[in-house]
Amino acid sequence: MLTDHQADIESLLVERSVEQFLYYEAELLDNRELHEWFDHIADDISYRMPRRLMRENQASAFSEQGYYFNEDYGSLKARVERFDSEYAWAERPPTRTRRHVTNVSVSEDDDSLDDGELHVESNLLVYLSRGDSEAHTFYSARRIDTLRQTDESFEIADREIRLDQTVLDTDNISIFL
Amino acid sequence: MAAGDIPNSTAQTLQAARESLDEGLFPLEFFHDEGLHDLEMERIFAQSWVFIGHESEIPEPGDYAQRYIGDDTFIFVRDESGEINLLFDSCRHRGTEVCRAEQGNTSHFRCPYHGWTYKNNGEAAGIPQKSKAFKDLDREEYGLAHVPRLETYEGLVFASLAEEGPSLDEWLGDFKWYFDVHMKLPEGGMEVIGEPHRWVVDANWKTIADNFNGDSYHTAWAHGSVVDLELGGEETVGHAGTGESLDRHIHCDGHTTSMRGFEGEDVFLTYPDEIVEDLFTKDDLSEGQWELAKQALSFTGAIFPNFGFLHFGDTTDDPEKDVAPFFTIRKWRPIGPDQMELWSWGLAPKNAPEAFKQRMYKMYTSNFGPTGNFEQDDVPIWKSITEAADGQFAQSQNLQLNYQMGLEWMSEMDIDDEWLGPGFAYTENLEEGGMRLFHEQWYEMLAGNDRTDATGSPINVTEDR
Ligand code: FES
Ligand SMILES: [Fe+2]
Repeated sequence: MLTDHQADIESLLVERSVEQFLYYEAELLDNRELHEWFDHIADDISYRMPRRLMRENQASAFSEQGYYFNEDYGSLKARVERFDSEYAWAERPPTRTRRHVTNVSVSEDDDSLDDGELHVESNLLVYLSRGDSEAHTFYSARRIDTLRQTDESFEIADREIRLDQTVLDTDNISIFL
Repeated sequence: MAAGDIPNSTAQTLQAARESLDEGLFPLEFFHDEGLHDLEMERIFAQSWVFIGHESEIPEPGDYAQRYIGDDTFIFVRDESGEINLLFDSCRHRGTEVCRAEQGNTSHFRCPYHGWTYKNNGEAAGIPQKSKAFKDLDREEYGLAHVPRLETYEGLVFASLAEEGPSLDEWLGDFKWYFDVHMKLPEGGMEVIGEPHRWVVDANWKTIADNFNGDSYHTAWAHGSVVDLELGGEETVGHAGTGESLDRHIHCDGHTTSMRGFEGEDVFLTYPDEIVEDLFTKDDLSEGQWELAKQALSFTGAIFPNFGFLHFGDTTDDPEKDVAPFFTIRKWRPIGPDQMELWSWGLAPKNAPEAFKQRMYKMYTSNFGPTGNFEQDDVPIWKSITEAADGQFAQSQNLQLNYQMGLEWMSEMDIDDEWLGPGFAYTENLEEGGMRLFHEQWYEMLAGNDRTDATGSPINVTEDR
């Protein structure tokens, strides 16, 4: 009985620390502290956003070939550093964003995971406000991550962003999800 | 509306346009004008050859994809006999759309309202309770409507809503000489990878048409971040007018392409040696076309009215990695005076090794499409032009935008007498004649004239016009 409780408490603690990390990550991205965010990217990262398909009989289908992002460490780093340039006009002024992270699920016993890795899924709703306008838009997605425990925090070792829109209602995607 | 009976407002618009165009100007307000949008849809988009898609997107019988011309929805579908059709997506009973998904495969389209069904070549196949309810109805007359004309060039399918007019071959004219280089250089041709990126942006379609018709001037500034990060070579992204590379702006039968390259060198758009050696072929190209490909580092261009392309070498997604080329085609679909949908496809040589095709697709998404390191910065600019054009000021002050670069009193501009291809090639890329050529054709079509009235002579040399 006692050991059961202990296991429950331990997994609750893990879930809580994962949630805290995702909230912290959202805060970094909302503040556009991109380099601090990138410090939490593992050097073997695969960061992907496949193109969603719209099919008559399938709720969730994604392209096998088409995508928006398919980044490794170097190309993701280049995307982060691009915004250091004073010519990255898309984010001048920066988009005002607010990331809402919900429906977090954590699993530790997935065969594909190495020691210290967690399979984490979450819903992400991002509010975006741009320019001198009242207009706003949202990106909505399910994220499927592999998080890896580090000394004090986590790093993102794998992320797949499953956007809900097929036809995007946005000028561009100049933020990280 | 017949060409003869032009309402006053249209006549005024045309008059204002003519006066501006004669000076190498264009009224700002035309980038946000409701009445003009309707006229453009009627006189340009319903009369032109509009790009639909590439054959390789629907390889198998029954494969279909929803496609649009202006506000009209069509089904781009390969039928059981392998033929490609473009069917108007509206049930012949009471108008319901019969295709519900963006893409898929089906032998029949079934109307959800009363159950009429159509074969994938459009023929009416089933009408529930026909013998009781529609005894005298002739099925043959009630198939899905086909677009009046559908033609293909090198796998690229174009449609025209006009029953009559120039064929696609005539519409493209000698510009095929240039586009052949892109499509026929690799043995087996080019194919589309994945599905097109689609995004709706609040910008007028003429902003992007201007850009693809030879805006070499914007590249180094608008895409300064790509330069800063060394994601492309200096020659691909760098300043116009340096004179260090072979810079040509080419106009041919109303379509344009801007090229950068190196005279006498083997550049081949920085395709790797093994692709050049194993795959590139002179078989379907002339000596001149081969020579052009050999020297070329990058091409940008546009086919009137709403098709654009980029074929770039020397780009990367990571300054630590080797450079590679990408090839992308696109269309801009006007939705309203201040809105369009962008469609963008990545392509690669059909017979290239899988890993190389993937690398090319990666280069495409790193540079263009909604997440492209170049394109992220373009679209908000086009949107802001459209915003500035709205309201009273542009109109009341008669604000004119300047497209005079390259006109004889503005800059030194020569025509390359030795140019190896058809049309005209300007010896510099510091000129905006491609945009003026686009405006001239836009004007002629709006006025109900023949587009070719605008396409004949060099657009930089004013006396000759
Ligand atoms: S509207 Fe299609 S069957 Fe009636
Ligand atoms: Fe650009």
